[in-house]
Amino acid sequence: MTLAVEKKRSIDWNARRMPFGERLHQAIEYLAFKSVNANASRACETIEKIVSEQKKFQFFRQFFPEEWKNSKASFFKRGYYQNYSERLNEFFQLVNEKMFPLFAGWDDPDMEFEHFYIFSLNLDLCCEDIEYENLRVSFALGLLFLFRDEEIWEFFENNYQIKRQDFPEIDESPHENLWHLKETGKVEIYRNLFEIVDHSTGNVWLDTVNCRDYTCFEWTEDNIILLAENYREATALLDQTAKIDELFAESPRAVLLDLISLWNAGELPEKTERLAAIRQ
Amino acid sequence: MLCEAGEQVNPAIILAEELMRKDITGGMDYADIEQAEKTLLLARDEIEKVERHFAQIVKTPPQPGGLIPAGF
Repeated sequence: MTLAVEKKRSIDWNARRMPFGERLHQAIEYLAFKSVNANASRACETIEKIVSEQKKFQFFRQFFPEEWKNSKASFFKRGYYQNYSERLNEFFQLVNEKMFPLFAGWDDPDMEFEHFYIFSLNLDLCCEDIEYENLRVSFALGLLFLFRDEEIWEFFENNYQIKRQDFPEIDESPHENLWHLKETGKVEIYRNLFEIVDHSTGNVWLDTVNCRDYTCFEWTEDNIILLAENYREATALLDQTAKIDELFAESPRAVLLDLISLWNAGELPEKTERLAAIRQ
Repeated sequence: MLCEAGEQVNPAIILAEELMRKDITGGMDYADIEQAEKTLLLARDEIEKVERHFAQIVKTPPQPGGLIPAGF
């Protein structure tokens, strides 16, 4: 009997075992499972949870192999988002930092990420109370074409001494040629602005509106790649519109004339027209 | 209906116990995950079947019987 106990207590120094703390957390998880797992429905929920966790671990290994190798985060201890282990919290953190803003707007520790929504990087035109003073001037320019609001002209008149009557009337819809122009230089930047403001870029981070048309995402390889690629493209597009802000700061009238000419005629204005606009 | 029903433990109960005891920190491979998903389908199917039978039993008016099945 004594021998048996001693044998049981002997340590196999070569065995790779989980650290004590990790085994303890696993045991606690198991006890919690045993205390509620009274029927088949509960068992199904447990399996679904494990399968879903395992799929996310696979994505962790696939997209962040180095971080997975070096991770010391627990598989069992709950992390900041309490429905998930520290290891999955680490995965979410990496996605948020290196792929796309998963946590944007979701600070609640009880948050579930089985199906998740994303917050648009674009303006919410239907519900947001828009104050033109707080917008980037490029967005305000874009809204001239979409909203045709007298207030926007007032904003430009008050801040940039630009008067509506000094420019051609903006047509209700854009010239067909606008969508067939070669996307280079200014044309590309201006066209992107029209598409961003119109929410018709084809990019989920720019076309989604936060108050409606929610798109719900599941953890699939395709979705992760799509969201990461779209996010990169969306930030690049938004950076491009910043160039319009710079151009506008240099020569506000010329930029507005460019935009109106592109919209109405599907081409940039002649040099002489532009010069005349600048001199006004 | 009860007498004809097969006797078995729902596969989800067995699998859940197995997975909770197993060290899966190294990760389950794709085949294991696929197998678990198949088991889930079977388990859910059985749960639905039991629920359907139960609903039928509830609807059936009680009748006196000459033979009492074992276990009742």
